Amino acid sequence: MKSNTPLLEVKDLDVRFAVRGGDLTALRGISFSLDKGERLGLVGESGAGKSVAAFSILNLIARPGYIAGGQILFDGRDLAAMSERELRKIRGNRIAMIFQDPMMTLNPVLSIGTQMVEAIKAHRRISTKAAREIALSKLRKVQIPSPEKRLDQYPHELSGGMRQRVIIAIALLLDPEIIVADEPTTALDVTIQAEIMALLLDLCEQENVALMLITHDLGVVSQVTQRMLVMYSGRIIEQGPTREVINDAQHPYTQGLINALPQMGEPGARLFQIPGSMPSLKNVPSGCPFHPRCSFATDQCRQTMPEYVRSGNVDVACYEVSNLIEQEKNMQEAGS
Amino acid sequence: MTTATLSRWNRFRESFLWYSFRRDKVAIVSFLVLILMVLAAVFAPLFAPTDPYDLAQIDIMNSELPPVGMQGADSAFPLGTDAQGRDMLSTILYGTRVSLLIGFGAVVLQAALGILFGLLAGYLGGRVDSILMRIADVQLSFSTLMVAIIVGAVFKASFGNLMFGEIAIYMLIFIIGIAEWPQIARTVRASVLAEKKKEYVDAAKVMGFRTNRIMFRHILPNTLSPIFVIATVQIANAIISEAALSFLGLGMPETQPSLGSLIKSGFDYIQSGSWWITLIPGLVLVVLVLVINLLGDWLRDVMNPRLYKG
Amino acid sequence: MLAFLVQRISQALLVMFVISVIAFAIQDGLGDPLQEMVGMSVSQEEREALREELGLNDSIVVQYLRFAGKAIQGDLGNSYFYGKPTLEVISEHLPATLELVIGASLIIMLLSVPIGVYAAIRPQALMAKFFMGVSTVGISIPVFLTAIVLIQIYSIGITVEWFPVDTGWGQWLNGALSTEGGLPSYGRGDDLTHLFGTWYSGFFSESGLLHLILPCVSLASIMLPLFIRLIRAEMMEVLQSDYIRYARAKGLSAVRINFLHALKNTMLPVITVGGVQVGVMVAYTILTETVFQWPGVGLMFLEAITRSDIPLIVAYLMVVGLIFVVTNTLVDLVYGLVNPTVKLTGKKA
Repeated sequence: MKSNTPLLEVKDLDVRFAVRGGDLTALRGISFSLDKGERLGLVGESGAGKSVAAFSILNLIARPGYIAGGQILFDGRDLAAMSERELRKIRGNRIAMIFQDPMMTLNPVLSIGTQMVEAIKAHRRISTKAAREIALSKLRKVQIPSPEKRLDQYPHELSGGMRQRVIIAIALLLDPEIIVADEPTTALDVTIQAEIMALLLDLCEQENVALMLITHDLGVVSQVTQRMLVMYSGRIIEQGPTREVINDAQHPYTQGLINALPQMGEPGARLFQIPGSMPSLKNVPSGCPFHPRCSFATDQCRQTMPEYVRSGNVDVACYEVSNLIEQEKNMQEAGS
Repeated sequence: MTTATLSRWNRFRESFLWYSFRRDKVAIVSFLVLILMVLAAVFAPLFAPTDPYDLAQIDIMNSELPPVGMQGADSAFPLGTDAQGRDMLSTILYGTRVSLLIGFGAVVLQAALGILFGLLAGYLGGRVDSILMRIADVQLSFSTLMVAIIVGAVFKASFGNLMFGEIAIYMLIFIIGIAEWPQIARTVRASVLAEKKKEYVDAAKVMGFRTNRIMFRHILPNTLSPIFVIATVQIANAIISEAALSFLGLGMPETQPSLGSLIKSGFDYIQSGSWWITLIPGLVLVVLVLVINLLGDWLRDVMNPRLYKG
Repeated sequence: MLAFLVQRISQALLVMFVISVIAFAIQDGLGDPLQEMVGMSVSQEEREALREELGLNDSIVVQYLRFAGKAIQGDLGNSYFYGKPTLEVISEHLPATLELVIGASLIIMLLSVPIGVYAAIRPQALMAKFFMGVSTVGISIPVFLTAIVLIQIYSIGITVEWFPVDTGWGQWLNGALSTEGGLPSYGRGDDLTHLFGTWYSGFFSESGLLHLILPCVSLASIMLPLFIRLIRAEMMEVLQSDYIRYARAKGLSAVRINFLHALKNTMLPVITVGGVQVGVMVAYTILTETVFQWPGVGLMFLEAITRSDIPLIVAYLMVVGLIFVVTNTLVDLVYGLVNPTVKLTGKKA
């Protein structure tokens, strides 16, 4: 059910890296939105810009990266234009983040309790005791055994899975409206990945928290998210309801991604691979960035970036797709 | 020039080393200053207006003249004179020469010892490694300067003042050399331990090469690059250590002074206003050490690009 | 915890043993008790008898054990020069050195952390670059030279006459650059407060404090640049870590991030380095005390060398060795307590 205005709306976001010899563009005018309680997946290979997109929402891109243009509208205000002080009020409070590797994300010399209580006290005026109570209740929510003990332990004393549960608990401490999760299970053991992902999904559903899930794992995306967008070389090339995008991928790149999944082929058959690799930020091709690897590439593709066209409920940026749609329309009109 | 040397020169010119050197003004200036000082010191007998250790040339009537620019100066003595009437410029040139000699000599010795012990400890491991590293740890925890002072004191007491003075240069090279070997040994050992795990060592072993050969011909060349960086800084350290030892009276004698002993003998006259006798050698010492340190910093940045200082 | 302590203490004992062997070797090799006890006119037979009586003909091992045994009981012989037990001489001189070290350490701690942190947070700021530049130069100046320069500027005073004296601005510039000096540069002064035992303190009187200023600043001057550079380098690396970015993502204030999250991680390697610097400090006190004629153990040691006062030299080495070993063990202990990833069994987590 779509509500009137989206909770988060990103419009033409442009993110660059200032390096010697000119700026490199990491995100080229991307636009998407997130509704209350909605679960959105950001998919793409490494280097596509998905992590950059995630970090840019709270303006946490590491120097020399910076937001060069566009808007990030949240609750009527533009996060991209906000001062650091204002942003601080939102970070961890209304929009929370989950990073990839919990061992690197938790400060090794501070106890879990300290790191949880400080997150609460940064945004609420309550006593340490009350903050600890909140922390304990969240730890129970993420199903960590003996939570009181954990508060006084240090990150290295917990297992990888437990650490990520703590991170999820921290994300939920202040009952945020959005959680941005950047590859939350990639650094974990394969056996635990499913557990943690299921936990995250459950909690988001229970608390009606919107989730922005950044991942390269199409399997997870198909199970967890309601809408998804596919990124390539700093652009969104396809976005729409997850079921439709996965079952009926339009963009050649998305099709390639799905065909590359081992379970899509027949047992014993060779694995499908998209030839070539994603261009680096320095060597972005002109026009549609995918054209060097695309079997449908035409001169038009090589010259200009395609606009979005709608096919079903999905927005796609591809000349081949738009041509096909044109043809179908013509055929339909001819037939009628 | 043969084609071989021509291409080596060209390779150097294209190398990253030369490129980053050209772009780093600090490195260029430091290098030029250093070369200037080294040449001036090495050719001191040519440059110095007088030979300050030729007693016939000194006149006590010239004592304690200030440098040019102040009242009472004599242009024959541009940097002034000391309490015996010696020309400061000459004494400083000769003094720099001694300081540099000891600096380089000590580093060569400590590098030789350090590389040897580092290779042995790293490659042979076990007891040898434990003993060597234990000694190194104790030396390092006392600080190399302290070790140098103790060894210097012991030598001075055993040899007596006179004999110590005569062989002082060699003594100092020796003292500073054995005080400072642990640092290089540690680095070499770490490199060796890392290299030992690599495949080419197994290959060499399988081919039946003797331990020595593996150590020196195969492993050593790969451990040399960090040593260059350390060696540069160590030259500066050696010069300072020697200056400190001389200042304490455990170093070069007055008859063959280094910058350190010049500072020491000049210090007695600072209260009476003749500041140049101690401060000008001091300034020269600082500049010398500073340019070596700056070059060392640059070298380290070049060899370790990932440690960018931002 | 117990295992950790036991391991460290046994290491310490091992080092002390090595030091005592070296000290004994020096004493045995250089010292000749006979020479000091009897004159030249004593006959050879009487010398031999005396040697036998003093046990100087026993085996080296026995002699060493005798030496070590006495040392543990606190008897390290008598100083040739002072004619008193060496430990007594040392205890009379030690407080002066300790006060020097305390003063310098205070200066270092109070200055290096703020400056280092500032230079790390704002590396491009002019002030930060200035501090780093001064630090690089500072490392190149040996401590005794800093002391001499400080003496010239603040004790003797400098009169600058570079600018024309007959102009108003010339006079002002001359005046601004000149100093009057006046700070004491010799010894500790006469106004020392007796604390206990042999400890006469200079911290409690104006004269004492004035005398402490130049020596402490000189001693601090050589270690300060080192710590500033170290703290800055460590902090800059720490600030790049994921957990710092995560702390920002939680909405924590910059102060908390810099001074708790970052600083705590920064200071750990600094503590380790600090421990090692104790050794360097001792060497530098010898130099500083020489310049200021400061009556501490450093000056005492140097004079003992000049006078060939072997027992005193040996005693100094033993005491200094003990101080090193104790300090290093304490630093290890503190590090183990402060760093939660080090389990106090001595193994890293």
